[in-house]
Amino acid sequence: MNALIHGVLLGGEYALIACGLSLAFGVMRLVNIAHGDLAVCGAYLVVFLGLPVAYALPLVLPIAFGIGWLLNITLFERALKAGDLAPVLVTFGLSVVIQNLLTEGATANPRTLDGGAISLAEVGGVSVLRIIAFAVAVSVLGGLQLGLSYTGFGRRVRATADDVDTARLVGIRVRPLFAAVAGIAVATAALAGVFLGLLGTVDPYTGGLTLIFAFEAVVIGGLGSLWGTLAGGIVIGLTQQLAGLWSVKFAVLAVHLVFLAVLTFRPRGLFA
Amino acid sequence: MLEIDTVTKRFGQVVVADALSLTVRPGDAVGVVGPNGAGKTSLFGMISGDLSPDAGEIRFAGLTVTRLDAAARCRLGVGRTYQVPRPFADLTVFENVLVAAQQGAGERGRAARATAADALARTGLSDLSDRLAGRLGLLQRKRLELARALATRPSLLLLDEVAGGLTDPEVAELVEIVRAARGDGLAVIWIEHVVRALTATVERLICLAGGRMIGDGPPAEVLASRAVQEVFLGVTP
Repeated sequence: MNALIHGVLLGGEYALIACGLSLAFGVMRLVNIAHGDLAVCGAYLVVFLGLPVAYALPLVLPIAFGIGWLLNITLFERALKAGDLAPVLVTFGLSVVIQNLLTEGATANPRTLDGGAISLAEVGGVSVLRIIAFAVAVSVLGGLQLGLSYTGFGRRVRATADDVDTARLVGIRVRPLFAAVAGIAVATAALAGVFLGLLGTVDPYTGGLTLIFAFEAVVIGGLGSLWGTLAGGIVIGLTQQLAGLWSVKFAVLAVHLVFLAVLTFRPRGLFA
Repeated sequence: MLEIDTVTKRFGQVVVADALSLTVRPGDAVGVVGPNGAGKTSLFGMISGDLSPDAGEIRFAGLTVTRLDAAARCRLGVGRTYQVPRPFADLTVFENVLVAAQQGAGERGRAARATAADALARTGLSDLSDRLAGRLGLLQRKRLELARALATRPSLLLLDEVAGGLTDPEVAELVEIVRAARGDGLAVIWIEHVVRALTATVERLICLAGGRMIGDGPPAEVLASRAVQEVFLGVTP
């Protein structure tokens, strides 16, 4: 039972990291290899600001949004125009640059963020911080999904995700829309990165493994569906926890095996 | 309102517009015919902003729009339908039209909803407004394509083979919708292979071949001209 609860909570964390990836791919068809590194940057931003997490977050999120916006107009939109491979190569390059900048600026030592007294609090043997992380993940994914379904911005995003040429034809300004989507994707990644730092440790190279789990959550859940991404994250979390009961070493491998099985038998995802 | 001034466009060796010039005034209804590959859809692409000409200039509503993108031209008043309808499949019929009213016509709140509802009423789609656009049949998709273009409140409407693939009564319905829309002073340029649908609606017909204009005038005269019959209808002297 405990493993089930922990699996679901862990899944929320994966889903929070993955939702920006899902959004950027679903709307812009951008495969962002640097997504995990951008998440890690969120944790390092808190370190650099030197403020308690609760005070740093209101600054980190708009900064991350601005970084996403800037990355889009300087890198992503050019790469997207240059064919299918270019965004993968460009964001891979961005990933390497981020890792090196973080190593240069903050050393390769693992860091953890101090969540204060709440870090130690537990309810029924479950960390309160993990419950908060899960609640934030569900709120962010739910909020984004509701926003996409019921707001004018959401309609524009869905229309553009459907057919970018026709979107332009009905007057949608695609450039600022993509920039806003990239901003939201990086802001959610940074938020996820802060929780990574609060719940464990981060170093400049944490992003790579984070990216793999995020990709797997997106693919298992089904591309383009945020609820699917949440479900995909939970599948990964549960698999990891349940497999861990049998063998800790096997836990991560089990996640990849589930991912491979989904790719083989349900390539459109379990919840698409 | 629309001036196309010696516009040229090539795709490799294929010339789709060869120093083409065309002027359309407010309220005009111009039909466009020509064999496949004549450059008809490319002409629409250059007017709507989907394509950039290699040379020449396009002016619309007093502005040079040659380098403006499709979104900016839509906001200026250029509406377009595609030959093969391209609805936003995951949006409802109403959302498809609403997003056009909000973005293309720049309307907000109730005004945008009223414009969207009006466009659906004019195209006979009001009863289907909550249906997902991806689930519509061909005629309904063509109507939605038209409704979405009308919801942007265009002053120039580009219709690309809206009658293709439809039965005679269905074509007659669409012709009526276009005629009714013209009552508001809307200018229309209409590409169509179904010539009777065109001649029932337009006062002027142009014929393109190899990116050049080989006929321009009243439909009966253009269709009867030797150059048009040779190229378009395959009649040899």
